Order: sequence, then C-alpha cells, then structure tokens
Amino acid sequence: MPSTAGPGRPAAPARPAVPETLLRVRGLSVGFGGPPIIDGIDLDVRAGQFTSLIGPSGSGKTSILRVVTGLLEPLRGTVELGVAPPDVGFLFQDDALLPWRTARQNVALGLRIRDVPPADADARADHWLSRLGLAGYGDRFPAQLSGGQRKRVAIAQVLALRPRLLLMDEPFAALDAIVRTRITQELLDWVEREHLTVLLVTHDLEEAIGASDNVAVLGHGPRAAMRARRAVDIPRPRDVLEARQHPAFGPLLRTLWNDLTEEEPPSPAAAGEAGR
Amino acid sequence: MTLGRAGPAFRRSAALLALLAGWETLSRLGWLDPFYMPPPSAVGQVMLDLAAGGELWPHLGATATAALAGLAIGLTIGIALGFAAALLPVLAELLEPVMILLNAIPRVILAPLFVIWLGIGLASKLALATILVAVLIFFSVFNGIKEVDRRLVERVRTLGGGRRVLVREVYVPSVTAWVLGNFKVAVGFAFTGAVVGEFVASSRGLGYLLQFAQSTYNAALTIALIVIIMTFVLVLFALAGRLERRLLRWRRSGAGPRGG
Repeated sequence: MPSTAGPGRPAAPARPAVPETLLRVRGLSVGFGGPPIIDGIDLDVRAGQFTSLIGPSGSGKTSILRVVTGLLEPLRGTVELGVAPPDVGFLFQDDALLPWRTARQNVALGLRIRDVPPADADARADHWLSRLGLAGYGDRFPAQLSGGQRKRVAIAQVLALRPRLLLMDEPFAALDAIVRTRITQELLDWVEREHLTVLLVTHDLEEAIGASDNVAVLGHGPRAAMRARRAVDIPRPRDVLEARQHPAFGPLLRTLWNDLTEEEPPSPAAAGEAGR
Repeated sequence: MTLGRAGPAFRRSAALLALLAGWETLSRLGWLDPFYMPPPSAVGQVMLDLAAGGELWPHLGATATAALAGLAIGLTIGIALGFAAALLPVLAELLEPVMILLNAIPRVILAPLFVIWLGIGLASKLALATILVAVLIFFSVFNGIKEVDRRLVERVRTLGGGRRVLVREVYVPSVTAWVLGNFKVAVGFAFTGAVVGEFVASSRGLGYLLQFAQSTYNAALTIALIVIIMTFVLVLFALAGRLERRLLRWRRSGAGPRGG
C-alpha cells in the first residue's frame, strides 16, 4: 500500500501551479416548493485545498451538497465536477451502514460496485479497516460496533475508493468530543498526506478553521447567499488541538463570527430547518 | 425468595402445572362435570390412545401438509406480488384495492367458496391457507419496500450503486427482515386456514376430527385435539424463531470491546 502520494497514485503527481477547480458551483438556488432557501450560490473548490462551508443550521448547506451528489434537483444553477463521478467520495452525518452486512462487506461494497473482484475487495476492505484501527472487526455487524467504530467503517468505505474529491457534511456531529477530535485528526492526517481535495460543510467554526485552507461563509436564509471567503493562515501538517493555539486562530474566529452574525435579516425563522 | 430467583420459564411451567393440578383435583372432588370439563388425566388418555392407535398420524399429516404447503405457496405469492407492486406503480393500483378488501374481511369466510370450487380434498384447504398467508405477506413486503430506510438508499447511490445493487443490498435484506417479523403470524395463519378448511368440509385432518368430536359431544377428544394443534404450532414457532434468529443475527448487539 503506498502510504504517500507517490507514483502508485495517478491523481496526485505534477500538481499545476494554478490548481484546477474540482468543484465549481454557479448561481445555485434551491427551494422546496416555496421561495428559494439559498439563492445564487457560487462556490469553488480547488484541487489540493481543504475548503469549509460554514453557515447557521437550516441555512441550506446540506442542500448544496445534496445537489452535488445528485440527490436533489436545484431550482437554478449549475454544478461542474472537475473529476469523474466515481472519484468523488461522500461522508455525511447520517450515513448509515447496511445493518445486515458486516463491517468488511460494508467497506467492500463501493469496491464491488466498481467491479473489483470479491476476494480483492475483501482484502482491500480489511486493509482499510486496520488502517482505521479496526483490525479484527471485519466480521462484526454495525449493531455490534460503537458509534465511533461505525463512523470509522463509514470513513473506510469512502477512503477505500481512493476519491480525489471528498465531500463531507458534518460527518462527526453525532460523536462525543474525544472520539470526534481523534477521528478528525486521523482524517486530517490522511488528507494532508494524500493532498486530498475536501469540501467540509459544518456549523462549527473551530472545526472549520482547524482543518481548512479556506472557509466560505453562507448567510442566513431565506434566500441565503455567500457572505465571505477567508483564507486560513495556519501551516500544515496540523494538529487539530494545537491549531487552536496558533496566533492566527483567534482573530480568524472573530472575523468569521462577524461574517456570520452581521446584518441579521428580520425573520430568520422563516427559513426553518428546510436544509435537511 | 427461591421461586422469585428461578428463571421465568420455571415460573411459567410451575403456574401451568398448578393449573392442571387444580383442575384435576376439582374434577376428582366432583366439582367439575366431566361431560363438559373432563380432567387432564382423561384428556391425556385420549391423546395417548390417538397416538398409540395410529389414528392420529394420517390426520395430523393431512393438516400439516395443507398448512405447510399453503405457507410456502402463500409466502411465494405474497413476496412476488409485494415486490412487483412496490416496483411497478400500475400493478400497485390494480392490486392494492383487492388486497385491502381481502385484508379487511375475515378471510376464512372464503372457505365454503373454495369447497365449492375445489372440492372437499386437499386443494380447498391449501387455497384457504395460501390466501390467509399471501395477503399478510403481501402487505409486509409492499410496506417494507415503501418504508425502506432512505439513508441506506442514498448511501448506496452515492457509492455509485444502481437499481440492481439497491435491490440486492437494500431492498431484499430489508424485506427479509419484514417478512421474518411476520413469519410466526404467517405460520399461525397457515394452520388456521388448514384447520378451518377441514372444519367446513373434509374427510380427514385435525379439523375433521375436531368437527367429529364436537358433533358427538366428546369434550375430552375436543380438548385433546386443541392441545395437539397447539403443541404442533408451538413446535413450528420454535423452529421459526430459530430461523429468525439465524437470519436476523445482525440485529443483535454482541458483546465485545467498545469505544471510539
């Protein structure tokens, strides 16, 4: 298993000076019958960058990702992927493992869909499970795993497909703080080593700053639009906890907070929880 | 308390034994009329005679054949129609009203019709057991597919899976769980169909014996037959339970090291 972005990996070599855009969203509007909950969203995710999209709950962050995955039809706007659809990995908060399949079968599922022979898919699944600290857990069913272990299986399921672009929607929100910090760090290590391109959707400012190269801020609904885009000036590789001690962390947190809260629209309640 | 600390199975058996002992005692004391309420010993004797005389087995065989074959055919039809209706909206529109009607009525009222159509042989019992099971299973499959966990469907789709993968990885296992959840009820329905069918018109089977016992006012034989049918169905329940535990083992949260 090549552990770094080396010759074994076709996606990574010779990164161009101006990074290509792996995800380009233009003029995206999404609504559920009524007025659009997000309106005219532009968003670029460049190759090798970790981009976070932050916004209050119900602002339609999730809807943007659901449009990208093809699970939701937009009212208007376009989504262009700079990679082939099989090279996109998705990790969502309510990702469910198939309860009737073992951890190994769940991880192997995406590989099997891509016509990897069963024995090979199982071997690769076991490899990814042990990478995520779940060696020997391959025969367990999801009901026999803890919440953190299930989330690791879900991560293994996605990473086993070697995606070039990873889209995440508050993937660790349901986990307790300790497990969450640990898994975030593991994932961040992997992303840094593989120069993986990531779009993370979250409402947690500290998580966004700790992990990202840049942060896009989505405003309040109704008709939420992009507010700002801020670069994160903290060197890599990062330690999720130590990043919070970096001198740039505090001021950026303040800036993002202001971006999020300024010009409160009169009735944000009208947007409701339509984002889910 | 020794009794309180013993297992629930022990307490249940103790309660049953106490009931039988009380019943027997009351009969011996002459407080219960044996014409209506023969003592357990007399019922037991009838059961022994039935078994030892070899009279029981062809009847039990006839009922079991009708019930088990009806169960198998009913499951097949119910699953096939349920799947088809869930995947083809046109078929759902055609089938649902009929099924809802069949579900709303006590389906055993169809027994006389089946006797007219199919005669007093095995076929009419089979048909009744089949329709009882098929309607139940149709709804569990149809609703099972409609209420399949959306997150699982979306997960498989975002992993790149198409319709074929969805059916294999999500719908079939999901429906299996729903059908197994109703499996014991289906076993009970199959026996209801077989016995009621025999009750209405037949020349053999436990239902036929029951009908005979009732017409001769033989309470001991009637109770003995009820106990035999109950025992047989309970044995099948136990087998169904084992099958359920085996196929749904993924539901059990097993012990093991936990943590993040």
